[in-house]
Parts: sequence; structure tokens; C-alpha cells
Amino acid sequence: MSRLFTLTMVAETLRIAVPYACAAVAGVWSERAGIVHIALEGVLLVSAFGAASMTIATGSPVAGIVAGMVTGVAFSLLHGTLAARYRVDAIVSGIALNLLAASGTRFLLRALYDSSSNSPSYSAFRIGPTGASGAALLARALLDPVTILALLAVAATPLVLGRTRFGLRVRACGENPVAAASAGVPVVRVRLTALAVSGAIGALGGVHLTFDQHRFESGMSGGRGFIALAAVIVAGWRAWHAVLACLVFAALEATQILLQNQKVLPHEFVQMLPYVATVVILGFAAGRARAPAGLGKHAS
Amino acid sequence: MPSPAVCLDRVSRRFGSVVAVRNASLDLVRGRIHGLIGENGAGKSTLLGLIGGMHPPDAGRVLIDGEPLVPATPAHASRRGVGFVHQHFMLVDAFTGIENVMLGAEPVDSLHRLDFAAARRQAEKAMNDLGARVDLDALVAELGVGERQTLEILRVLVRGASIILLDEPTAVLTPAQADRLFAAVRRMADAGACVVVVTHRLREVLDHCDDVTVMRRGKVVMTCTVAETNAPALTRAIMGAEPPPPVERPADPGMHGSALALSHVSVAGTGTARTALHDVSFVVPPGRIVGIAGIEGNGQTELVRAIAGLLPVDSGEILVHGQPVTRLGVGPRRLSGLIVVHADRHRDGLMLDASVFDNLVLGERGGRHQRALVQRRMNRFGIVPSDPALPARALSGGNQQKLVTARALDRPVRAVVLSQPTRGVDLGAARAIHGAICAAASAGAGVLVVSADLAELRALCHEVFVIARGRLVASYPPDTPEEVFGRAMLGGSVVAGGVG
Amino acid sequence: MTRTIGQRAAGLLPPWTAVAAAILVLNLLSWSFGQAPAATLSTAIAGSWGTMYGVGQVLFKATPLLFAGIAVDVALRAGMFNIGVEGQMAVGSVVAAVVATVVPVALPAPVAISIVLLTAAVAGAIWAAIPAVMRVLLGAHEVITTIMLNRIADALIAMLITSALALPGTVRTADMPANTLLPRLQVWIHGFVGSAASVAFPLAVVVLVTVHAWLKLTRSGRETVWVGLNADACAAEGVPVGWRRWMALTLSGAVAGLAASGTVMGYKGYYEMGLGAGAGFGGIAVAFLGRGHPVGLLLAALLFGTLAQAGLAINAQVPREAMGVLEAVVIIATALATAWSPAPASRTTGAPEAEP
Repeated sequence: MSRLFTLTMVAETLRIAVPYACAAVAGVWSERAGIVHIALEGVLLVSAFGAASMTIATGSPVAGIVAGMVTGVAFSLLHGTLAARYRVDAIVSGIALNLLAASGTRFLLRALYDSSSNSPSYSAFRIGPTGASGAALLARALLDPVTILALLAVAATPLVLGRTRFGLRVRACGENPVAAASAGVPVVRVRLTALAVSGAIGALGGVHLTFDQHRFESGMSGGRGFIALAAVIVAGWRAWHAVLACLVFAALEATQILLQNQKVLPHEFVQMLPYVATVVILGFAAGRARAPAGLGKHAS
Repeated sequence: MPSPAVCLDRVSRRFGSVVAVRNASLDLVRGRIHGLIGENGAGKSTLLGLIGGMHPPDAGRVLIDGEPLVPATPAHASRRGVGFVHQHFMLVDAFTGIENVMLGAEPVDSLHRLDFAAARRQAEKAMNDLGARVDLDALVAELGVGERQTLEILRVLVRGASIILLDEPTAVLTPAQADRLFAAVRRMADAGACVVVVTHRLREVLDHCDDVTVMRRGKVVMTCTVAETNAPALTRAIMGAEPPPPVERPADPGMHGSALALSHVSVAGTGTARTALHDVSFVVPPGRIVGIAGIEGNGQTELVRAIAGLLPVDSGEILVHGQPVTRLGVGPRRLSGLIVVHADRHRDGLMLDASVFDNLVLGERGGRHQRALVQRRMNRFGIVPSDPALPARALSGGNQQKLVTARALDRPVRAVVLSQPTRGVDLGAARAIHGAICAAASAGAGVLVVSADLAELRALCHEVFVIARGRLVASYPPDTPEEVFGRAMLGGSVVAGGVG
Repeated sequence: MTRTIGQRAAGLLPPWTAVAAAILVLNLLSWSFGQAPAATLSTAIAGSWGTMYGVGQVLFKATPLLFAGIAVDVALRAGMFNIGVEGQMAVGSVVAAVVATVVPVALPAPVAISIVLLTAAVAGAIWAAIPAVMRVLLGAHEVITTIMLNRIADALIAMLITSALALPGTVRTADMPANTLLPRLQVWIHGFVGSAASVAFPLAVVVLVTVHAWLKLTRSGRETVWVGLNADACAAEGVPVGWRRWMALTLSGAVAGLAASGTVMGYKGYYEMGLGAGAGFGGIAVAFLGRGHPVGLLLAALLFGTLAQAGLAINAQVPREAMGVLEAVVIIATALATAWSPAPASRTTGAPEAEP
């Protein structure tokens, strides 16, 4: 048990938390603008694939990050166009896009790399001290460029939402799009921009996922997008609170990994725990009591 | 003659198959207050919407200062100096007052952050010009109706609007608040603005406006200065003929028995979303029509929902014919003879995409003889069009209201509650609904009418209560003067700020 | 006001668009595998509807999609999104396979089969009842909870199979006794010999008709649809909204529990891990394409069954992933076309609330 309160634990928690937190903040950007976003899972997957395939093709992790973000933005804009511009039910759009992401990435995996499960491996960033000590792990985690970008994005989000003109308009579109439109705010355009931001931040999560494993694995998002959405709901659609929820979740998962060698519980049971925890937490979240009032509504 | 600020040149506008405005022409000049009057459904709000860029005309032109308003968007109209104060306030409840005033024209500083100081200065100047104040840092959700309206007007002034459009501004104000609003409007007109006020109240036009235009069934039927006309002439223009005689109130059966009674009912509020009810008690005897008057937002919604069984009460009892129903759900309350028609027919009354047939049988427990039942309900209330397979969405507001009323009253009832029974309904349909209410009372039901339309209550009811801030503060016979009612409404009203 | 021919055609725009999109995408995908587009269509038709064996295979593949489509559709009527069909299907199938092994061999087949089917339906219903209760009583949105339950079902079933149920060295359950298996259609229609089509397909059609008769003709069914149209108005008129929603989602789970009956009871005769994967989203595609109309649902299921079989005929390597992409495209195309084509009466008036 003493293993738990160590630097290793902190490092692992941070490492595990990044994809969740990025997906959660991506969800915040979308839903605060009024677009329900259940396709965070798809964002993680497609941006992971984009980053992986670009890194494999060019050997440059930087190019991988860019490709991942472009893919994530394009995917999110597709969702935004369907839901905000063409008024397709955002849940339908989300379901379809998740399916497209899951099948599409597996299809491309087969087409490009002739495998149904993994892409070839590649090396990503190797910055920081080598070694398996807790301090080394933590240093590497903190020096990872993707993690740094993610931290910046997460920290900046409430500042942008609360103190800038764009942020005010995004929140207005999410709370009362009819009122926003009557004040002259171009609701569809603002929502699409918010979704582009959402896609870029969510993509960082996907990039981190694949860089962490040094390859792309089929279905590697593993439900994180839905758990992140649950975190957003539980946190009342507030960015830093949602990240906190993700950290708690990541800490639990880190604990599970560090206690991996115990034989008391079957390993499928342990794997199931995050999903059970999500269901239980949602049960206590008392519905969507404090959701943005204009969520799912349009300007006219 | 100064050139008109606004010129409507033979404009028409339709929505689907309904022609809302038909070949209307109108000139509006600066420095004067122009009243636009007509009954519900006449086309006033649509006409105002055309000036405000809410929708483009299907035919004709809208000219602002001589130039056509193209493209017809609210943002563009705002840039041309048109400010629209909506009837249903376009404010973001979760924002503060200053954020709402800024929205869409936000000043920013050199670092691209929102410049609240500059916005505050602009708002202060506008408040001085208007002669009214409001707390800019309070959340809109916590403000009263008068203050929200002040914010709406501030938003318009801060953008430099010189053509100000007000859509039914006094619908939610007490008589005293309304007077203060018109004083502020007069100040704006004297400063050179062109002000248009849409209303269906004759009194306001005659007392406060310089010019008046009457609309009827989408057409402009009369335009003149207020000095040149009078109440009977205006009434004739509005109705098109002699107004139909008002509905006969049934004889007052007195205070014998109790069809519906509330005893010390209290409901906790939630601050922003829900007004509390405090110790509400009253009795509606069988055959009597009791009214509850008050400005919207003072607990009427909560009261009606509590009686219906949709909102649990924290203390007190609700009794139907002497039997407590407080712990019962909606269904059992209906079985005991209580029926409720809610205020918002689109949210709580109709399934817009279902057929008229389905809407008329919603809530019926038996499956037999439904066709006959539907025909009977449609005929009794004159619902048109007469094809029950049409979706409810295709009906006009008046017919939709007749539908929900028909559904409620076509059964043996002991206690009926109707909330805003003729809101947004044309005169013919309103008469039919009033007739049905009186018939229900004559048949022995106790009727409770909750309405923001004081004239309606004074015509229909045997006794009228006043609700303010979740309490019943007074009870008057129906022929009591309006000012007395107004003072009671204000005495406990939710907020004493703003223009009102 | 009856609809004109033009309006009727516009109402059918979504399905036509979807079919066109599906065919287009299938062509693109096959082309990426090296097949010339021109030859593709004829191979596709020949391999699917060209022979009785092909037809049988189409019916076999359409069966789980039809069940899944009915399940998603009935929940959708009440305004509920059931994304958990896959989990409900798996739970129902595993339970059915296990129960089948304890059914006395001497029981006549119709009785044994009925017992097994009932068990599958009940198991699926229970798996859907959990998110249903959470939604109705706690307000937890069923989209997330049903998806989580899919993954929980996967884990639980994996645990059960590897620890208790599997035959050694495999990931499947023991064979089910003969009296619990659904007979193949080839028993009655000789042309279907060799195909996996079984009584499960007509069973699915019977369920389709029954469910839609319930929705259209009974008060509880009609109230379920009304709850989906405007739950507030229903609550105000005393309709038991929570109960109707719960029933719709639970019934959806029951139908989903039967979804793999064609594979488990009509073809393999046992449950294998991973069976029926993808039917959940396929069901969503079918439900959207069918637009709530029973004939539409049937045709949509047959369309996807045809595409699955045709895909195999074109190139035996067209992977399941291509089907997933296809379904996603169909859902998006249908949703877009629905958003564009005005529903028969929803755009008629649209006037601001009687205050023009």
C-alpha cells in the first residue's frame, strides 16, 4: 500500500489523466456552446489514428501532433455542421460519428497496415531522464510536449470562456441561443468555432493516447470519451471541476494498475470497475440539473 | 414634414398558409410615439418584426431612413439604428445584467479581454437618459420583470438606437409601472427617437401616444393622430363592426360548499427557477367562478402546478369536494373530478406533431367511442379546420386553445382550474372559451381562473383574489376599480425597481 | 389536407438518399479493394438475390438487424436512446444458451424453444431495465449508461465464459440440445438448402408486427408514442410518463435479447464470445432508415442484410469495418435528408404564437 503514495503514483495518475481531461474539456467547449457531444470517443480515436499514421509516415512526432489536431478539428466540425448548421439531432450525429470513427479507423488500419489490431510501432518523444524511478517517471510526464499543451489548453479554457468576447458569445449560445441571435451574435458560426476549439483540445488527448503506446491499437480509446462526458456532467459543465473528476478517476485507474499483480479479483472484474463507477456516479449526479439552458436548442 | 424614419411600402408577410400581414403601408417619423393597436392575431407583432429585421417581407419594401433594410437580419437592423424590445425578453438568465447589455456589441481592451469598465460607463449613461436604474451585477434570473425590461431597453440604447420598437411592453407591468415606462418613452421621443409601441390596450394609446395605427386581420385599416380620434372610433376600427356582447356571467351561488379548496399551502422556492408559495388558502364553491389576478412571475405557475399534482407541496392541504388530494398524483386527482388547463399550451397542453384526434383523446382511459368523442368536442367548440387527422401544429393559436379547453371541459367536472385561458387567442375563440367556462359553472363546477388579463377576470368572475410574491394579498368583488387591483399587485410584487 | 404526390416523394427522400449513399460507399470500398465498380453491382446482386442460397443468407444476416432495429425503434418512440442493444443481445444469448442445456431433452421442441426464447427476452429486458430505472428515477441519461452496460456485459460474459461456461480450449458454450434449436428454413423451402436462414427470420417479422400493433392500437402503446412527442403535455393529462418510458426501454431490451436467436439457436447451436458484434449500431441504422414504419424497418433490415451478403460476394475480404462505415454513412445521410425534407405538417404554420 505504501506504493500508492509515491511519485510513481503521481506520475501514473498524470499520464492516465491526460486523455480523459482533454476529452472532458473538449466536451465542455461543445456543450457550453449548446451542442450535445457524445462523440468524444470518436474524437480521441480519429486524432490518435491521424497522429499515429503521420508519425509513422514522416518519422516526426511534431507532424504527428499537427495531423492529430487537424483530424480532431475536422471530425468535430463535422459534428458541429450536422448538429448546428443542419439541425440534425446532436445525439444521432454523435452516435453515427462514433461508429464512423471506430469502423473507419479499423478499416484504415487494415488498408494501410494490413492488420486488424495494431499499427506498426514508432518512437515518439523521448524527453527527460530515463529510468523507472518515480521521479524520473514524473519528470518525463511533465516534460512531455503533448501533456504541456494539454495543461495549457485546460488552464486557458475558463479564462477564455469567462473573460473574452468569444467566450461570452459561446456561453450565450449555450444558455439562450434565441437571445444571442437577437443580440446579433452569429450563433451557428460561434458554435462551429467552439467545436473547432473542442476538436483541437480533444485531439491532444488522442495524440497522447497513441504516443503513450507508440502505436495505434484498434479501439484504443476504450470508453474514455464517455467517461469524460460523465465527468463533465458530474462537474456541472465547469472545466476545472471536470478535470478534477478526471484526476480522481485516473488515480483510481493508476491504483488498479499498480495493484495489478494481486490475485484476489479476476482481471476482467477489475477492468469492469471504471464502467461500473461511471454508472454509479451518474446515478448520483441528480440528472442534468445545471446543464446550459440552451443545450440542444437552436436560434430560431 | 420631416422625412420618415421608417417607411413600410405595401409589405406582406406569410407564415406557411397564414397571411400575417397583407399589403400594409405606414410612415413613422422621429420625435413622436406611435401606437400600433389591434386584437390578438391582427398582425401587429409581425409588422414590428418586419421593421426590426426579424423576417424579410414576402412583398413590398421596408425602408429605414430612406434606404431598404437589406439583408433583413436583426444585426443589420441594429446597425441601422433600430432597437427591438421584445415582449418575451431576450435575456440570458444565467448572465448578469451588464453581460446581457454588452452581448453582441462587447467593448474589448487592448488585450482583447472584455472591457467591463467601458460597458459600465455606456450603461450608466443610458440609465441616466432613460431615467431608470437597475443593478447591473445581479443575475438576470433574480431580477423582476420591470428590471428585466429596463435591461432590454438599455441594451437597445447602448447601441445608439434611434428607432425604438416596444412589443406589448406593459403586458407584464402593474398600472403604476406602465405609467413610469411611458414617461421614459416620452423622454426618448423628446430626445429625437422614433418610438413604436405595440399594444392591445386602448387606454394606453389614448393616454400616451401621439399617433395611432389600427390593424385588423393583417391589414392597416386606420392611421391618424390620437387627437383626431376617440375610443369608440378606435374600437370600431379594431373590431370591424360592433363588438359582440360580452359573455353573461352566471348568477352568484354564494359561498356554499367547497368544490376546490386550498388550506395553508406552502411550496419552497428555488430562488431563481421557482417562486415560493406562502400559506395560500381559499375556497371555490360549486358554481362559483373565482379569479386570481397578478403580474406573471408571482407564483401563479407554481400554484397551478401544485393544484394539478405536478409540484409537490411542502405543507398544507388541497381538497376536491372536501376530500384531500394532496398526496395523490395527477391521474387520481383527475378521477376525483379535478381538471387543470395549463398556461403554456405548447408545453403542457398539446403534442404539436400529433393529430388533433390524438390530442383530443390524450388522457382518456377508455378506448371505445373515441371517434364520436372527438367529433363532439370539435363541434361543441367550433374547432377549425374540421379534419381531426391534421396535426395540432396546423391550428391557429385560438383553435389550439379551444382544443385544450374542449378536452378539459367535455366531461363531468367538479373543479376546473384554467390558467391564462385566452392568452394569444383571437376574440371569437376567447368568447367561445368564456362561454364554456360559464357553462361549466352553471353546471355546478367550481371554477378557478388564473389570468394576467384583469379585464377578463372582472368580466367573468364572482370574486377576484390578487397574488403577489407567492401570497394571496387581497380579495375584491369584480367591479372594484383597476387601480385598486394595481396597488395590491404592486404591494407585494416580486421587485420594486426598474422602469416600473 | 392530404399530401400531394410531391410531398409524398419528398417524405421518402431520406430512404432514397440513404440507399443511394450506401450503394455509393459500397462501390468506393470495393473499389479500394481492387474491384472495378461496374462489375461490382452485378456481382453484388447475383451473390445476394441471385440464388436461393443467397436469399437465405440475406435473410440470415437481416435477422439480428431486424430485431435490433425493432428494439431501437420502440425505445426511440418514447424518446429514449437505446445504445445498449449489443449488451442486451449478448446477455440474452448467453443466458439462453445456458438455460437450453438444462431444459429436459424430452420436452417437445416448440415448448423447449419457447422457454429458451422467453429466457433470452427476459434477460435482455433485465439488462435494459437497469438504465431504464436510472433514467426514470434518477435522471441519468440512458445514452451513457447503456453504453457502459455494454462494456460491463462484455467483461461479465468474458469472466463467466473463461471461468465456468466454456468448453475447454474454446470461448464458446456447450452445444444446445436439439429440441431447443430453431429449425432451418430449408426444412420447408428446399431452395434454402445450405443457407443459415432459420425460423428466426419469420419470428422477427412476427415480433415486428406485434410491437407495431401494440404501438398503434392499444392505449398503452399510443401513450408511449405520445410521451415521446411531448412528455410534459402527457404528464399534465395524467399519462404515467415514467412508467411508459421504463416500459419502452425494457421492452426494447427484451426484443434485443432475441436478436441473436438466429445465430445462436438457428445456426451455431451455442454461444460464442463476440457473437453479433456490430448489430447494435446496425439496429440504429435500421431504425433511422425505417423512420418508425414497420415496412420501412423490414426493408431497411433487408437492405443491410443484402449489403452484408453482397459485400462478401464481391470480395470475401470486405471486412466488417466496411459495414460499420456504411451504417454510419446511412445514418448521417438519412438524418440529413430528414432535416431537409419537411415532415408532412411540421412546417405548415410556424406562425409566431397567434400574436402576429
